[in-house]
Amino acid sequence: MDFLAEGFRRAWDLLVTGDSEVYGIALLTLRVAVVATFIACAIGLPLGYFLATRRFWGRRAALTVVNTALAFPTVVVGLLLYGLLSRRGPLGAIGWLYTWQAIVVGDVLLALPIAAALSAASIQGVDPRIRRTAETLGAGSWRVAWTVAREARFALAAVITAAFGQVVAEIGAAMIVGGNIRGSTRTLTTAVALFTSQGDFGMALALGFVLLAMALLVNVALQVLQGRGSG
Amino acid sequence: MVELRGIKHRYASRVVLDLDQFSVPRTGALAVVGHNGSGKSTLLRLLALLETPTEGQVLFDGQPVPRRAPPALRRRVTLVEQRPVLFRGTVRENLEYGLRLRDLSTNAAAGMIGHVVEQLGLQPLLERRRHELSDGEVQRVAVARALALRPDVLLLDEPASSADRAAAGALYRALAAERAARPFAVCIASHQLEDAYRWGDDIRALAEGRLSPVTPENLFRVELPPGDGVKRIRVGDADFFVMTDRSGPAVVAVPPTDIFVSKEPLPSSARNVLAGRITGMAIEHRGAGVHVRADVGGIELVAAVTAEASKDLGLGPGVKVVFSFKATAVQVF
Repeated sequence: MDFLAEGFRRAWDLLVTGDSEVYGIALLTLRVAVVATFIACAIGLPLGYFLATRRFWGRRAALTVVNTALAFPTVVVGLLLYGLLSRRGPLGAIGWLYTWQAIVVGDVLLALPIAAALSAASIQGVDPRIRRTAETLGAGSWRVAWTVAREARFALAAVITAAFGQVVAEIGAAMIVGGNIRGSTRTLTTAVALFTSQGDFGMALALGFVLLAMALLVNVALQVLQGRGSG
Repeated sequence: MVELRGIKHRYASRVVLDLDQFSVPRTGALAVVGHNGSGKSTLLRLLALLETPTEGQVLFDGQPVPRRAPPALRRRVTLVEQRPVLFRGTVRENLEYGLRLRDLSTNAAAGMIGHVVEQLGLQPLLERRRHELSDGEVQRVAVARALALRPDVLLLDEPASSADRAAAGALYRALAAERAARPFAVCIASHQLEDAYRWGDDIRALAEGRLSPVTPENLFRVELPPGDGVKRIRVGDADFFVMTDRSGPAVVAVPPTDIFVSKEPLPSSARNVLAGRITGMAIEHRGAGVHVRADVGGIELVAAVTAEASKDLGLGPGVKVVFSFKATAVQVF
């Protein structure tokens, strides 16, 4: 147990003294997570709305695919993306392998099914009369969608949190396509894995605390927004 | 104004509406009556251009409506559902919702809202949110929200079902005042004949998704025995004689105009002779006729008689009567 106590002390020192490496990794993680969550939700929420509200041939199959993708292993996504982005891969020319952009792409692929599947379920939970009422009052497609989304705002906020949680906590894709390069593609999760394997528990714990604090802050922000938006 | 032609509308594989022709005239007040599940709400959703019929065509001003009606066209028809919902936000924000979509100036929108608020007595509710309103208040706000938009066609599905007597009166008065000031088409669906007689220039009855020749009071679901000819069937505690070659589940209808009303059983060719007591009388919209409602053998039947005949027979609530109709008068569908 001593190593744990020592680890906590070290973590505290690193956080209080503003260790540049810890905060550098945290900032990169935050940047990757925000960009990936934004892109995944920008595509996934409209897709979820579409799947929930439109009746078309193959809709059930599409929902099954999206729901199945929820369980897609992160390392497999990383591996497939590696194949695409490696020098000999079809997208090798863009030179994104071992860059933070590659991690964003991997994270988007992982968060997209969450955003789409959970938002579809959230929208399906909205009283269908809301949509009909918006339509009969003269709303066009976008305004109808906005009205329905406002009714499902709590559930949709939870969808965004879940997508952010997936992105910030995943390690497989970040490790494979990011490469865990110091100062360049090292994220909180890959760094925790690295420092733990090196026996530097203090550093690993410090980064773990930052990761938890990030998740906590997002949830608190969500709850504040929910409080303001009630009624 | 809005017309349905050759409509067959299905949910899954079940036909819920089967109409050759149905139209809401430009400035008329049409009442659609029918039991729950008769297809009234589906009919209104088709007329509101919110659903596309599985088969058939919807026409607006004589022009076919495309599969997804454009918002500009939808804005000419407004539906208030049977159990309307309000959006999140205050009552005022709900009243503003549709007006904002129409790019009206703030002053014009405020004027239109003020008008309906006054007519429906909504002033005390303006800053309340939906969870602070009763069902009746929600219904009034929903009607006001629709009236404020001044649609060419207003469709109301059981508009007073959650309102108390006073609120229902206010609602209908507001509707009448609005129509007097600006003629527009109204179609009210109701399972209450009183509403229909009071507000409809014309009344249509729906049963099992089809236009019925009689009002819902005289419609009964029955099980017809096999065979051909005159059949004796049980309806409530009464026995009906029906002439039909149909068998199995069916709906039988007794047209109110085919029922003879007398004080005593009369010798006649009528095979159905049912004694009972009058439970209610309703003056028909035009004032020339009377609808006599009576409890005969545990079921309610409505007979249509002239105002003169009603007077001569001394008909009134509680009076004993005999309803007679021929087996061939009973319609089966």
